Amino acid sequence: MEINIHVKKFYNHNFSDFFSLASIFALILFSLSVSGQEVKPSTINSQLVGKIIDVATKEPLPGVVVRIKGTTHAVATSADGSFSFRTGQSFPYTLFVSLIGYDSQEKRVDGSPVTISLKASANQLNDVVAVGYGTQRKSDLTGAVSKIKASETVKLPVASFDAQLQGRAAGVQINSNSGVPGEGTFVRVRGTTSINSSSEPLYVIDGVFLNNTSLQTTNLGGRTTSPLADINPADIESIEVLKDASATAIYGSRGANGVVLVTTKRGSFNAKTKVSLDVSTGWVEADKSTIPQLASGPESALLANEYWINSGIDRPALNQTFANRPFRPVSQGGAGLPEEQQTFDRIGDILQRGLIQDYNLSIQGGTDKSRFYVGAGYTDQKALIKVPQFQRTSLKFNYDHNLSDAISFGLTNSISKSDRNQARTGDGPQVNLWNAATSAATYTPKFALDGTSTGSDNIYVLIDNYDVNTTSLRYVGSAYAEAKIIDGLKFKSSFSLDYNHYDESAYWNSQTSIGRAVGGNATSSITQNSTWINEQTLTYIKNEGDHHFNALVGNSLQANVISLTAAEGSGFANDNFKLISSASTRTSSQNWSKYSLASFFGRFDYNYASRYYIGLSARADGSSKFGANNKWGYFPAVSGAWRLKQESFLKDAKWLSDLKLRASYGVTGNQAGIDNFAAQGLWTGGSSYPDVAGSPQPGIGPIQLGNPDLRWEKTAQTNLGFDLGLFENRISVTVDVYNKYTTGLLLQKPIAASSGFATYWANEGEMSNKGYEVGINTTNITNNNFSWKTSLNFSGNRNRIEKLPTQITQYTRDWVIMKEGYSMNSFWLYNQLAVDPQTGAPVFEGQAANGTVTTANRQILGDSYPKIFGGLSNSFTFKNFDLSFLFTFQAGNKSLNLNRYFRERNPTSGGVLANVLNRWQKPGDITDIPRLTSIGTNYTIDQSSRYLEDASFLRLKQLSFGYNLPGEFLKKIRLSQARFYFVGSNLFLITKYTGDPESSVTSNPNAQGLGSFGTPPQPRSFQFGLNITI
Amino acid sequence: MKISIRIALALSGLLVVASSCKKFIDVKPELNISDELTIVDGNSAQTAVRGIYNQLQSNDYYGYTFQTLGLFSGDNVQYVGSQTVNQQLTNHTVLADLAAVGNSWAAIYNTINRANNVIAKVPALPVSATFTEALRNQLVGEAYFLRALSYFDLARTWGGVQLITTPTATAADQTTAKRSTVAETYAQVLRDLTQAETLLPNTTNRIRATRKTAYALHARVSLYQKDYTNAAAFATRLIEDTNYALIGPYNSFFPANATVTQESVLELQYNINVTNSQAYNWQPASNGGVGWVTPTATVASLLLNTSVSGNRNSLILTQTTGGVTRYFGNLYYRTAGTDPIYLIRIAELYLIRAEALAQLNDLAGATRDINAVRTRAGLAGTTATTQANLILAIEAENRLEFAFEDHRWYDLVRTGRANTVLGFSDPNKLLLPIPYAQLLIDSNLSQNPGY
Repeated sequence: MEINIHVKKFYNHNFSDFFSLASIFALILFSLSVSGQEVKPSTINSQLVGKIIDVATKEPLPGVVVRIKGTTHAVATSADGSFSFRTGQSFPYTLFVSLIGYDSQEKRVDGSPVTISLKASANQLNDVVAVGYGTQRKSDLTGAVSKIKASETVKLPVASFDAQLQGRAAGVQINSNSGVPGEGTFVRVRGTTSINSSSEPLYVIDGVFLNNTSLQTTNLGGRTTSPLADINPADIESIEVLKDASATAIYGSRGANGVVLVTTKRGSFNAKTKVSLDVSTGWVEADKSTIPQLASGPESALLANEYWINSGIDRPALNQTFANRPFRPVSQGGAGLPEEQQTFDRIGDILQRGLIQDYNLSIQGGTDKSRFYVGAGYTDQKALIKVPQFQRTSLKFNYDHNLSDAISFGLTNSISKSDRNQARTGDGPQVNLWNAATSAATYTPKFALDGTSTGSDNIYVLIDNYDVNTTSLRYVGSAYAEAKIIDGLKFKSSFSLDYNHYDESAYWNSQTSIGRAVGGNATSSITQNSTWINEQTLTYIKNEGDHHFNALVGNSLQANVISLTAAEGSGFANDNFKLISSASTRTSSQNWSKYSLASFFGRFDYNYASRYYIGLSARADGSSKFGANNKWGYFPAVSGAWRLKQESFLKDAKWLSDLKLRASYGVTGNQAGIDNFAAQGLWTGGSSYPDVAGSPQPGIGPIQLGNPDLRWEKTAQTNLGFDLGLFENRISVTVDVYNKYTTGLLLQKPIAASSGFATYWANEGEMSNKGYEVGINTTNITNNNFSWKTSLNFSGNRNRIEKLPTQITQYTRDWVIMKEGYSMNSFWLYNQLAVDPQTGAPVFEGQAANGTVTTANRQILGDSYPKIFGGLSNSFTFKNFDLSFLFTFQAGNKSLNLNRYFRERNPTSGGVLANVLNRWQKPGDITDIPRLTSIGTNYTIDQSSRYLEDASFLRLKQLSFGYNLPGEFLKKIRLSQARFYFVGSNLFLITKYTGDPESSVTSNPNAQGLGSFGTPPQPRSFQFGLNITI
Repeated sequence: MKISIRIALALSGLLVVASSCKKFIDVKPELNISDELTIVDGNSAQTAVRGIYNQLQSNDYYGYTFQTLGLFSGDNVQYVGSQTVNQQLTNHTVLADLAAVGNSWAAIYNTINRANNVIAKVPALPVSATFTEALRNQLVGEAYFLRALSYFDLARTWGGVQLITTPTATAADQTTAKRSTVAETYAQVLRDLTQAETLLPNTTNRIRATRKTAYALHARVSLYQKDYTNAAAFATRLIEDTNYALIGPYNSFFPANATVTQESVLELQYNINVTNSQAYNWQPASNGGVGWVTPTATVASLLLNTSVSGNRNSLILTQTTGGVTRYFGNLYYRTAGTDPIYLIRIAELYLIRAEALAQLNDLAGATRDINAVRTRAGLAGTTATTQANLILAIEAENRLEFAFEDHRWYDLVRTGRANTVLGFSDPNKLLLPIPYAQLLIDSNLSQNPGY
């Protein structure tokens, strides 16, 4: 029934598709429910009751799976830790007892009752790890998978869970470009594999493929919102990052960039209902070391005069002299002498302590037949600057039910509403909030004498009149039914949906620069994005002595439709009329796009005695995006592991708890981020022109060349690694090295402009990513009162464009380049060697004798990717206190400081950084800042290396401190747990970079490292909270 | 048995889906349509021709960028915004990677490709009651005219270029031609213009090309070629046409939302859906612009001096904030982006003929024509009497009459006066560099000397 409800939502899809799907689904469910009613009677030979407890706390453990070894007969313990068996087996027999987070145990029983003590696992080897379309024990993994428990990360005050993962997983580079909550995050798993296609990992939440492309249409200066912010991190149980080909090949044409599997919380069977409330509040504020330092009013005026006069000396025709310098006495018609100027601090006025609040309530529990989790959350985050704000209200409901021993079904649902007050940051001058504060000259009064604003956009006017809002309504959910067909063979069918309704509006009243000349301007747009997936899998598990088989086959159909309706109006009677219906001029637009994907996949795992492992997986994907000749792609992978610890020669080595060697090779693909119709030759219908003066008539023109051979990118990846555990796993080490090689890059291949086109989609170019990952977890001290654990991970990745038909530049001024033999995101600059002490002119490497440069002098001077990055966390507990902190670091990455580029220039137009006071003034001056003049190459070379900085950093990303109320006291107030805590983030930063080293003006992933301009830095935050469980 | 049925059922669930895959993964676009469905009949032929104009008026061609190449290279207009790299044009130190150069180049060739599509496909379309032969000729004639204009702009900015006269249907259609000489490029322009003159109707339409528009461009091209006889002859055809007139005062053709006045021979029309960024770039913040493109101090003082410019001072907007006076150009002021772009005005034809006649030593005729323009501006007749002085007077008149239209740089270059007037010595800098990226992509291209 649930399925039918979903189907109705897909009015955009072809109904016949659904009809056939729904009927197949119903047919399967029916056939399975019939089969489920057959239960064979059995002879009862013994009865066993028992109890499972924690060895340390002696508390009963609910939800423990107890199985009689050699059979499939299993039960789970109830809330008081007890279980009972009625079985055909006779005593004695062996029980296999397992629980997530505990060491599994085998226990021979010779009578009833029994009590079994389980020990919390030190190294999580028995942890269950989510893998594609299933789970595996961590000890059985043959691929490279990182698991992050959400409880470690959830309190970082960023809106989306991906930004919370920085420094937590080896091989995963995460950067937050801006301090605006709810904006996109730069995420790379094992490097960048693509140029024009997306290099973002694939996100899968409880089996639902999550849209991770921002639906934003409002111009935010090149910054985009994060669709992941719609997910409440508090509902997440764990996150797995699948990195090597053996782990990702089952995701086929979408696996090349890694896969992030998100598992949300579920209740436990036979568990007492648990109600948990978490409340926290605090604030964000600016880290002053990341804020631009502008010259004072008198200093700026002095520099402006100097620039003016020097330019006049260099070119007399400009008629710029001492006599008509801008800051001359008022009596001479000037703006007053420099020393008469005041200093107006706009930056100080726009910064604020932004309130952040977070409330989460969850209820979870279960009976022997069903389990549930309900989570409700509300988050309100203001920013460190005025205006932007992010609010999210979310509701989560997960439910599973066992109809019988053979049949179960369940639901996952999450509904959220994210409201954003937005402001244009990033690039561009108009209504840009951060620019308006950092770009205006400090001598420019905030208001003119008549009270009107001065400058392009007065920040006070902006702050008061900003009216840009977005509401994102998001449903992510699925329904599944699962049936056991015969012992070990399970069939599962599911239907899932990711639906997003994204409603944007902006109103620029007549005070703002956009609205001023047109009598107010309003835009409104609604984007709907829906992805539905129907999926069938068949799994077979067989254990014969030491032989363990696990096989999976499946298929899926998926379609995505995105539609947009937008309207714009200008000319309002006054600022109180805000809706487009009142506008005198109105325009509208519409867009629609769709793609579909049909897939078959399978996996086969075998291990002998948990000693020798082999894994095979493959997927076939047929995609509507590709050319007629290449719709289908095939992606295989093979992996193996050898658990040396299980060999006789190491079995008795006490110091060695685990040693496993792993190897894998496979091919995965990428098709994300390209236009749905990239392979087709297209003409636009939007080229109108009038026939006679007056109304425009429709017109057409070619806009895209077709390519019937277009196909996905292919990434072949080899991975070698080992897992090592020492001293009862007090020390565990995971090391991986990999080599990823991508061929047939989806490239907007430049074509000679004389053809009338700039590019067309082609598979050209090759790229490699080679790297290593090291993760070390240690339990340094552990005793009854005190524990200290350390976790360190660091990784290095070297990206290299191996083949590219021609160099391709990115962003305005071509600051960033892609060129064969170099890394992506390389900076293409004129290398300023020095400022000539005699003339004050810059000296560029390779320049001609007369000081001129040509494009041939531009060089590649580093890139924005770190050579090494990672995180170091320590956690301590002492009695009822706990303390943990996380440092994150990156080294070897460069960033072009655009704030310096824009503000270390012409001081007659806008603010100027205090740094310019160090400019060359007279022969003999040694400085890197040229003589102030508009003439020559001093300030007209936009691509000077002078602004390129080392953006390596070490951050105290998170510090948390907590206190648990003692047990006796809790009993009195009838709580099972209560914790007070403090969480601080970004508390300190060590970097040579002048600004926030992670900032970038654009969300364009191929133009990262254009820093500090337009976007506010990441904030420091301080939060205090209380977490209670009843 | 039962088990096998269950397995079979489950497997069929996997396989039934497979059978309909082929259709499932075939999706047709709706926003833009397949290139197989384009120029097929009279109606689609008309839409394709409008598409050429749409490209001609796009931001990177006449909408803004291409015009800035000439404007910033001359001494009337300067760039004071954040992209200081544009000052390379003013300083005559242009680097081949200047974005404005590459973007303009691409926009012009895009226009040519659209024209080539019409020239290749429309003549073969069958005529009908609604799609008459006259209409078909007109459409093809317009395409020839627009291609002529495009190659003319390429020739005067970059010199000889690759001549592409067939449409690009696939990536394999990229040209293997080398650059033609300047003479060959101009020959192509004249061939296309002659074709256009044959095919186009002899009507008046100020926003679309007619035979008269072709004559006007022919006059200009002839002047650039120093073919003074033809320049004067073709200019005369427009001047003597009563549909065109120098309407006075000067600020009659552009203020108060004026469009298609009698002044206009060809202007590009915009609307709220198809806009240009001129007003945004020229107007001060108080009028909703950014004020990045401004008059130079010299031209501002010339224009404000009514004894020199007459009523052309209406081109200047003066603003004083905080004691600092700034001058803005006021030719473009419709901040909704609907300012027309003036390609050819009748005043130009007068000045073309004046210059041509002066060169042919018909000083009386030249004086008559320059004075027609001066009279309209509210000025007395020229005081120049010798041939040389008259030619200089025409140059000065052009400077003010078309202060913010893209004439000054090209006038100085074609008369060989640019180095002297603008004060730079390198004659190589009279042509702009071939875009750096294009040289990398197309090995048949070669760079201009000096870059």
